[in-house]
Amino acid sequence: MAASTPGNEEEEDDYLSMTFADTTTPAPPKETSLQRTARLKKEAAARSLPLSKAELEAQAQANLETGLATSIDSSNRGAQMLARMGFKGGGLGKTEGARTRPIELEVKGDRGGIGMDSEKKRKVREAAEEAGAGGGEKRAKVGVEEFRVRRAGEREERRAEGLVWGAMRVLEGLGEDEKEGEGDDVPTTTTGHGAKKRRLRGVNILYRPLVRQRLERERDRKMRYDLNNSLSTRNDNDDDEDESVFDKRVEELEDADPELEEFEALSFAEKLERITKELREKYRYCFWCKFRYPDAEMEGCPGLTEDEHG
Amino acid sequence: MSLSYCQIDPVEALEGRATRITTAMAEGESKSRFKRQKVSDATDNDRANPYLSHMFEGNDAAGGHANGYGNGQTHDSAKGGMLASFKRHASTAKMAKVAEDGPNNPFKQGHQLSERYFGILKKRRDLPVHAQRQEFLDMFQKSQILVFVGETGSGKTTQIPQFVLYDDLPQLNGKMVACTQPRRVAAMSVAQRVAQELDVTLGEEVGYSIRFEDMTSQKTILKYMTDGMLLREAMNDHNLSRYSVIILDEAHERTLATDILMGLLKEVVVRRPDLKLIIMSATLDAQKFQKYFLNAPLLAVPGRTHPVEIFYTQEPERDYVEAALRTVLQIHATEPEGDILLFLTGEEEIEDAVRKINLEADEMIREADAGPLKVYPLYGTLPPMQQQRIFDPAPPPFKKGGRPGRKCIVSTNIAETSLTIDGIVYVVDPGFSKQKVYNPRIRVESLLVSPISKASAQQRAGRAGRTRPGKCFRLYTEDAFKKELIEQSYPEILRSNLASTVLELKKLGVDDLVHFDLMDPPAPETLMRALEELNYLACLDDEGELTRLGQLASEFPLDPALAVMLISSPEFYCSNEILSLTALLSVPQLFVRPASARKRADEMKELFAHQDGDHLTMLNVYHAFKSPAAQENQKQWCHDHFLSFRALQQADNVRLQLKRIMEREELELVSTPFEDRKYYENIRRALVAGFFMQVAKKDNKIYVTVKDNQNVLLHPSTVLGQESEWVIYNEFVLTSKNYIRTVTAVKPEWLLEIGENYYDLDTFSKGEVKTALMRVRDKVRKKQLIAGGR
Repeated sequence: MAASTPGNEEEEDDYLSMTFADTTTPAPPKETSLQRTARLKKEAAARSLPLSKAELEAQAQANLETGLATSIDSSNRGAQMLARMGFKGGGLGKTEGARTRPIELEVKGDRGGIGMDSEKKRKVREAAEEAGAGGGEKRAKVGVEEFRVRRAGEREERRAEGLVWGAMRVLEGLGEDEKEGEGDDVPTTTTGHGAKKRRLRGVNILYRPLVRQRLERERDRKMRYDLNNSLSTRNDNDDDEDESVFDKRVEELEDADPELEEFEALSFAEKLERITKELREKYRYCFWCKFRYPDAEMEGCPGLTEDEHG
Repeated sequence: MSLSYCQIDPVEALEGRATRITTAMAEGESKSRFKRQKVSDATDNDRANPYLSHMFEGNDAAGGHANGYGNGQTHDSAKGGMLASFKRHASTAKMAKVAEDGPNNPFKQGHQLSERYFGILKKRRDLPVHAQRQEFLDMFQKSQILVFVGETGSGKTTQIPQFVLYDDLPQLNGKMVACTQPRRVAAMSVAQRVAQELDVTLGEEVGYSIRFEDMTSQKTILKYMTDGMLLREAMNDHNLSRYSVIILDEAHERTLATDILMGLLKEVVVRRPDLKLIIMSATLDAQKFQKYFLNAPLLAVPGRTHPVEIFYTQEPERDYVEAALRTVLQIHATEPEGDILLFLTGEEEIEDAVRKINLEADEMIREADAGPLKVYPLYGTLPPMQQQRIFDPAPPPFKKGGRPGRKCIVSTNIAETSLTIDGIVYVVDPGFSKQKVYNPRIRVESLLVSPISKASAQQRAGRAGRTRPGKCFRLYTEDAFKKELIEQSYPEILRSNLASTVLELKKLGVDDLVHFDLMDPPAPETLMRALEELNYLACLDDEGELTRLGQLASEFPLDPALAVMLISSPEFYCSNEILSLTALLSVPQLFVRPASARKRADEMKELFAHQDGDHLTMLNVYHAFKSPAAQENQKQWCHDHFLSFRALQQADNVRLQLKRIMEREELELVSTPFEDRKYYENIRRALVAGFFMQVAKKDNKIYVTVKDNQNVLLHPSTVLGQESEWVIYNEFVLTSKNYIRTVTAVKPEWLLEIGENYYDLDTFSKGEVKTALMRVRDKVRKKQLIAGGR
């Protein structure tokens, strides 16, 4: 559900860039009644379980959004009182064009500057337009119900995305462990750094997006740092040893990576399936049990999918 | 309290005059006492001699006050003094100038003007508004309503009311001139300043009136007051008949009270052709006021400003705080002399930024030979002494001829309009501020970080051009400025819960709420919610008419929920305690938690903690504060216990004022004996009487607000453990998480009993809350049946 399933702020940045990539795939088809029943059932089942922190957050967010989108209706006492006072809809007062809706309430979740959000939105929109026209008309008349369904769909999507990132991280972690165990000659301080120092192209495709994204962020950070440095003209040489590797890898960022593009084009569900499969086969790890089984039979694991894990 | 406030007060301490004024005051007082003995005896002739104005003009030409004796003197002491020749609404700037030149005080019979007065007078005449005094008078005399635009520093707040005094002569009709201010502190400090300028005692001819403090007398002819106070006065006097001129100052701030006053006065001026109205604004969007007031004439006085060059970023910033810090350091490293003003949003962000800038600046000094940089925070809750520090001069260079030193002030938007710091040449504007928002759908009123408006951005930029040409660095693109920022900030009336406003409007005699002519009418849903709340509080009946309880509640300068709680508290045998609690809830935060001593502060708070919640804890604090041990040395005691002395003092004052109203309304002051085991329970029940609409229920791990179904967390500051199933809360705060703040545990039976109407379970939508309440209801019924059966 939550974009923040992986848990930290940094992830918020990425999923947006991912969304961008993802909009190139056609929007999921409208829910059929069967799917709806299935979803409701699933949701009901989920309700009976104690929720995780992330799920709670997502629920809070959903309730907030629903609350904000639901106007006070005519059954409300205040609405009735106002009607008795002669209110007939529209705005109040004597001037034309008085407002009819409360001011939008937006909680700023990050420190993005003015224009940052719309910059992101603009990119997404442009991508969507490229992907295919016709979406515009539909968007114009979205009913409340449709809105809710859409929100729910978006939440699902975000949750799936969060799961993909989480799974990638697990895979990477296991991969690094393995290497360390083998006595890999790459000096690793933390798993994260170890990954950074290998060439990007050599990274397992199933978690290459993760490494790539980390690298991009590192580059941005460095650019900002350089800018800062130019102010105070100080000379830190600590990072020099990393420089050459880093630069090469940054160059690599600019190159096309068809394999990665292909992978990115998959839907979240497909990606997740591939990653979990890899986890099972290579590491006997079940992403849903969150457990690494001692043998290939993986006895005790109810199955391959999340649903089977109840 | 007022004194310490006045010194820090931004508003007219503007040009760092505050200290000068204080010394001048001491001097001036002794002088005037000395001179008073020379006052000539009073003769009462020529009171309305129309020829006299010429003589005054002549005197003026002859060279100021020293020579201005002769005939003039006999008139000085006449009734109306030097103003005897003035005809109402027919005076000129010249005449006023002569009268101002003395030597006798035109507004204080038989008193000569002091030297201090003349010292100030000279400076007053340098103010930009002075140049247009005649123009102002011409328009004022011709028109009933006037819109006046003058930027901060033009002198409008102090001078225009005085211009009006000389022309309107309110003393002749036993009327007053009122000048409203959005802030209490401004009302107090401006009144003090103007009393000095007119050489009268504060509280006599010039006074002020703010909530819980009335500093006026029979003699008062010019009254500074908060807009809220004028509104309260209008409740008992719908025509505001005590005033001949009403000046609404800082109208551009569009406070709730100013907006209501404008709507009201628009009607009053029709009923009272003798009433004059001046709307004063600091920004150039005055056309909106003009249009609203049926094309009233407009007079604009330019401020003293220099050009400001504006810079935008090329790309949107990923992190506006980081970008701001970078910009500040860059300015320090590369720009010529001049102080920096950085706008951020809140205390925490500001303190953090100050720390970081200090660290970086130290490094720049060590390694890049930068000049010294002093960084000061500035926000509303900062103690006065520290606020004052922003007026310290910038540090000198380390060595003669070295890189210049500068100061950097990191401020909330209080530095945007309400305060002026000289020497600012660089403004860094990330484009955000904390703004109050209210949403009636989920009933949340909260401060949120939001983008500022174009008008605010202009105002911020203008701060750079006070002393010389400056630069403003906007941390967003020009495109974003044009497309993303709204033109004007939303007025408060669109961002507030209107429950108390509706009560006020009813009391003000506004019957048709739907068509009341407001400049910016709020969303209908906001009004619906307010009506609903007042109806459940039994302040309005189903037709929207004031009930007796509503009448009574409107006597209290409190939120309706608080007022109702206070009024019903005698029924719960705890009105003394609820009175204290109401006062405590009306003042700023009691508990002090400095970053350097969090643990110690929390331990101290633990001393007062009551297991059932924060309200009772606050009450414990107050009782401890009133104990003999604490009273011995209040300040020290508060300091030792990490409590805000100012807040407690204020609470004491508020309590006293509320107590007077209670006595006047014959509400009983009673207490349950402390030994009684129902002592605290009664208080909690009384809380429910006011706050039954602000209840949350625990559901698994989380709390959910009743009816609105919002997930909330207990604010980390609460003393309440997680085990209470039902809680009432004082505030619903929205941040990245939703918090309820100041909470106390209650029993669901009380909700059903005391908030009976609201807890009509048929009106609840299906869910956990409803089910739980139904269980409770059945249990209660069963009990009653058993009891009845016996």
